[in-house]
Amino acid sequence: MIPLLAVVKKELASVVRDRTITISILIQLFIASFSSGLLLGMLSLYDSDTILRFSGPRIRIGVVNSSKNILGSLISDRGLQTLQYATLSNAQDAYYRGEVLAIVDTPQNANGLTEIKLYLPESNTISSLVHLVLQEPLKQYENVLRAQKGIEVRYTDLKGRPSTSFEFVYSVLIPLLMFFPAFVSGSMTADSLTEEVENNTIQTLLSAPLTLNGMVGAKIISSIILSILQCIAWLTLLQWNGVAIQNTGWILLLAVVVAGITSTFAALSAVLLKDRERSQFIYSLMLLTAAAISTLLNLSPIVTLSRLALGDAYTSGWNVLIFAIFLAGLYLVLYKTSRRLLV
Amino acid sequence: MNQILVIAWREVTRLRKRFGGASPLVVLVLLAVLGLSSYYLRDTITLGSGLYRVGVSGDVPPIRDSHFAVMAVDVEQGKILLDQQVIDIYINGTDVISRDDEKSQFAVRALKQYMENEELIRIGNSYAEESAFPLRVGINYLSAGQAEARPEEIIIPSLDPPSGPFEQVLTALIYILPITFISIFFTSSFMDEKINRRLTILLSTPITPFQIILGKMLPYASFALFSTILIAVFTKANIPLTLAIFTPATLFTFAIYLMVPLFYRTFKDITFIAMLVTTLTTAYLIVPAMFTNVNDFSYISPLTLAVKMYRNESFGWREYLFPSLPMAAIFGLAMFAGTRMLNEEFLMGYKPLTRKVSNAIYLMLAHSKPPFSVPLLSFFVVPIIYMSQIVFLAFATNLPARLILGFTLIASALFEEIVKAAGILALAEHGVVKSARNIIGLSFLSALGFLVGEKLLVFLSLNIVSDAPVSGALFGAGLLLFIPLIAHFVFTAIITWLSIKLKFPYVLALGIGTTVHVIYNVYVLRGGF
Repeated sequence: MIPLLAVVKKELASVVRDRTITISILIQLFIASFSSGLLLGMLSLYDSDTILRFSGPRIRIGVVNSSKNILGSLISDRGLQTLQYATLSNAQDAYYRGEVLAIVDTPQNANGLTEIKLYLPESNTISSLVHLVLQEPLKQYENVLRAQKGIEVRYTDLKGRPSTSFEFVYSVLIPLLMFFPAFVSGSMTADSLTEEVENNTIQTLLSAPLTLNGMVGAKIISSIILSILQCIAWLTLLQWNGVAIQNTGWILLLAVVVAGITSTFAALSAVLLKDRERSQFIYSLMLLTAAAISTLLNLSPIVTLSRLALGDAYTSGWNVLIFAIFLAGLYLVLYKTSRRLLV
Repeated sequence: MNQILVIAWREVTRLRKRFGGASPLVVLVLLAVLGLSSYYLRDTITLGSGLYRVGVSGDVPPIRDSHFAVMAVDVEQGKILLDQQVIDIYINGTDVISRDDEKSQFAVRALKQYMENEELIRIGNSYAEESAFPLRVGINYLSAGQAEARPEEIIIPSLDPPSGPFEQVLTALIYILPITFISIFFTSSFMDEKINRRLTILLSTPITPFQIILGKMLPYASFALFSTILIAVFTKANIPLTLAIFTPATLFTFAIYLMVPLFYRTFKDITFIAMLVTTLTTAYLIVPAMFTNVNDFSYISPLTLAVKMYRNESFGWREYLFPSLPMAAIFGLAMFAGTRMLNEEFLMGYKPLTRKVSNAIYLMLAHSKPPFSVPLLSFFVVPIIYMSQIVFLAFATNLPARLILGFTLIASALFEEIVKAAGILALAEHGVVKSARNIIGLSFLSALGFLVGEKLLVFLSLNIVSDAPVSGALFGAGLLLFIPLIAHFVFTAIITWLSIKLKFPYVLALGIGTTVHVIYNVYVLRGGF
């Protein structure tokens, strides 16, 4: 037991000494803040609810008046400012005076279809923005026309609240911060093992009172320790930032188990291939494949993590146990094959 | 040339040996499983997978969406479960019942999006086209000037929603993935040679470091170009145009990955540095492209050009050169740096990374006289500074709004001061620069080199972003350039003087110089000059 702890200590000390682990922490910070910044930017450009909330009243749409222009009222119901004009040429004059950003003409009947002309500015930025905020009223108007033809569209009265930010935090940000350290710890295990082989230091290491499996295990354990420390830090930071996270105990356990799985995967590929180049490559591929298969089997650790964090009624420690069992099986395979590292 | 080909061929043989035997089979199997499952999952992986639970009773269309876990309940049970927050929505026939709390309302929004699409499919299948889709919208563009307006586009609102560039960005991303993977192999190959000390043997022959790097890069660069062509064929893109767009990006990626094996000390270093590089380059390439057609600065990424290509939109020479030139320049700089650093002493040294960087800068500058090399270095690192500032800006958008400007000012001043002083400090460390005259003279030249590079880049970008009068105002007036030059010179002189003559610790000297720089920037922003 003591030699094992000595190896764990040596591994952790080397990580602290090299200081390159800070790069990994920086990457996580970068990805997390960058992706949320990106999301914010995209929402303010491509999400009509966000655009309307911030600049709805400033977007003025010219509507060419007619007594039965339902579309005009749908547009103003959506939170945009509409200005009425008697004719199209009046509206166009207003457009060139800068009074309105776009013009909606009176609907015309043509061969059983309703035709409507929309006049947008040439500029790509403004026209795509206006088109975006007009999309919802246009769809509602389409439903009105369908109803006139006796077609009932169901579930049209659903509203809800824009959910993108919420979904981002629970299905991307939290899983990312909890599993990225696991991904890194796998890489580190592969590095650490192949480095001993390629630098021919493995025989020396084994001359200490330590079994091969003890050595491999120690490397896996030290990677897991590093990963769990990062997870604890992220969880604390997230909660400080006001993100509600339930089941933190189970979440940490899941993160440990997943770090164990990735490290064991990495150790396995190091044992089988013995050089960094191939084992890192196979490790990354195996990880991607495992992620894809787990999603196919409806057993994705990402979904489990999201649900744990949300406090889902049907997700508990039992769901974590499934991954723990998988880890045990995987480790058994490693235990039986680790001798090949010396061949 | 012959030497380069010999090295390239040796590289191919090495790869064949290493990946011979059983491992290609494993790789193929893994790739096949991965490809197949991603194909199956392509529609199910969305933001918010598995977040909501829905209870249904009565006649409800099947809900097959990865957001929702659906369970059948009876009416009583449904209402109880909804109250207990076990489910987020209860659907009874066409009635959708929700709670007032946020999560339930988020679920309703997600359901709305799903149901809208399902209803469209149902209506489209059960009614005639003109009854199901009774509205046609003709979009006309009002031209501002004398330019000819675009022709009318006719759309059906529910079928042709206005789309952001996301789909095209994803397609463009497919090109980047193999390029990254291949350049990781390129890195590994260098590393392998370094461990086996074969690189040392190669260096003792009459082959030059440049030939070694180019020779080893050649096979990988060819693979990368081949994969680009392959993807272009599969996505039915214009092949020469695709190559023109992605070649600078490929060179850029290779340039960055060339630095990894030169700087690493342990295997873990490689992993971390490679991860950093991958993250930063990917972010740099993708993020601007997300804002195609919204902001002209999106042109700093070549992926924007690819997005435009896939949207059948045109772009001009300037738009092409804007992202491509800095990337090509970085490739040139990296090749040059690589040839200087490829020597036994540098490769095998185990020193802190900062020392290695300082050594690398010295090696790059030592080939010619400082008055020539120092400004040249400052000139050529401008694209790198520019890229890091963009990356930092995206970082800063997460901060509270009133802090964004402040942080951006400080960060950009810091980046600029680091690079302007770096060359002089590296030379001073090796005893090349000692006298006060040298320090002052080189600080001035470094500031000059940097300013020329900076203004050249601004000139290029202004030409795209707006019209000639703006750039005319910037370049026409001599005074406007004179003051920044003096300012840049003063900041750099402060740092180098404090650090070399007064033996201040580097961090402190840099801090003082940066502070003065920030104060100057704030003064300028307030309309000081």
